[in-house]
Amino acid sequence: MTLQREITQHIVSEYLPDTPAEELAADYDLIATGVVTSLQLLRLIGWLGDRYDIPFGDLDIAPDDFRSVAAIAELVSRHRPVAAN
Amino acid sequence: MIHWTPEQQELRAAIGAVAAELGKDHLERDAAGIFDEEGWRRLRDMGLFSLPFDPAHGGLGKDLLTTLYVLEELGYRCPDAGLGFSVSTHMVSTGVALQRFGSKALKEHYLPQVCAGTVIGAHAITEPAGGSDAMSMRTTAVADGDAFVLNGSKSFVSNGPIADVIVVYARTGAPGEVGGITTFLVRSDTPGLSVGRPVAKMGLRTSPLAELFLDDVRIPRDHVVGGVGAGFLVLDHVMKWEILCGFAITAGEMRRRLESCVEYVRTRTAFGATIGANQSIANRIVEMRIDTENAHKWLFDTAEKLQAKADVAADIAMTKLVVSEGNVRSALSAVQIFGGYGYTAEYGVEKQLRDAVGGTIYSGTSEIQRQRLASLMGLDRPVKRA
Ligand SMILES: Cc1cc2nc3c(=O)[nH]c(=O)nc-3n(C[C@H](O)[C@H](O)[C@H](O)COP(=O)(O)OP(=O)(O)OC[C@H]3O[C@@H](n4cnc5c(N)ncnc54)[C@H](O)[C@@H]3O)c2cc1C
Repeated sequence: MTLQREITQHIVSEYLPDTPAEELAADYDLIATGVVTSLQLLRLIGWLGDRYDIPFGDLDIAPDDFRSVAAIAELVSRHRPVAAN
Repeated sequence: MIHWTPEQQELRAAIGAVAAELGKDHLERDAAGIFDEEGWRRLRDMGLFSLPFDPAHGGLGKDLLTTLYVLEELGYRCPDAGLGFSVSTHMVSTGVALQRFGSKALKEHYLPQVCAGTVIGAHAITEPAGGSDAMSMRTTAVADGDAFVLNGSKSFVSNGPIADVIVVYARTGAPGEVGGITTFLVRSDTPGLSVGRPVAKMGLRTSPLAELFLDDVRIPRDHVVGGVGAGFLVLDHVMKWEILCGFAITAGEMRRRLESCVEYVRTRTAFGATIGANQSIANRIVEMRIDTENAHKWLFDTAEKLQAKADVAADIAMTKLVVSEGNVRSALSAVQIFGGYGYTAEYGVEKQLRDAVGGTIYSGTSEIQRQRLASLMGLDRPVKRA
């Protein structure tokens, strides 16, 4: 499964249970539309950190980095350990 | 179990020795609501405030666990809970925010002063219209050339009346949006900023608290901490440290209270026997011990995980609930165990209960911690049916 697809699957199953994965566009604004609220952002960061071994505590991140599936995938591919890419 | 090195033990003992000399007049100062400036200076001179910060900026470079180990001893030795609260507020509100998110220039300028305690720090998140829903804050920061202009008001700013620098959280984006909050480092002498009179409160009275008013306060862009829109993540990081450092002091207070109750029930007699020989009193003491040890275990376990860069979002909420609510239970038991002496102001037992109640409100209320846990467990989202 591609990285973007895996993230889409996760977001749909956790935050948009009534939406088929194919209907969530990669550039859909998850934050402005309230799909990801402050508490859910913490949960999402926790999942991404565990799943892709990313030390978020050390990174300069902003909520904008989590605005869409495409932005998240870009952030993950930039920061996950090289061997896992 | 954590094994502390001789160096860590010496550091803790050294701070403990000074802390034991503080707070002799804490009941009088509590009644009058007076901050212990002399105590602050003595702790500052011991280097307490610089513990977890980078040596490049005047810190001692100690890790989080060592910091907690020392702060717990401060709580154990010093009966002035308000002073301890002001200490942890200073360290985390400004120092921790700057160390993790400050620009090089901000760190170079302010962190040495925070470490040395030559400036006192505070942070302003809560507003008159509400604190729990921080993402809906109304104080605005509008970009204007090389600055932001802040307008609004903040309530309940601990250290507000004595602060030189205040970390202010304000809205730069849409209300409720997670990327809509930005963090600013604001000097308290900035034109347009005014601090209200100290607010009288139930407990922690020696830690002064005030309202803050921002009227066209111009803050240079280079005083943004953590980037525009990153306020929520700054706040999340600071709250983790605030809960661990602040409640490590609380855990020390709980240990001291337990010891004083054990001593009391083994010496106070009624009906020809020590009161501790009664199972209903003994059970209270046992519950106090469980609460005290739970507090210690949760704090150090969560700190160990955070130090190992694990995700502690749920652990932090559980830690805060365990320690703050255990502290209220333990303080209430102490009042009961000391009977009439517990209820009168002279012995300071009732003061501990008044001090304890605040812990279920600041750093995110008990209700909000439970809501957070429920959300982290996905309880607020329905599962898709096949
Ligand atoms: C001693 C002390 C020191 C403080 N220091 C500072 C400081 O330095 N800086 C700062 O910014 N703030 C500080 N605060 C403020 C503190 O953070 C807020 O009081 C707290 O976040 C709650 O906000 P509120 O008082 O506006 O209550 P509200 O948010 O109005 O809540 C009122 C009640 O409703 C409950 N509630 C709200 N939303 C929900 C929900 N969704 N589900 C269930 N229950 C809910 C709350 O738990 C609470 O019981 C301090 C407070 C105290 C007591």
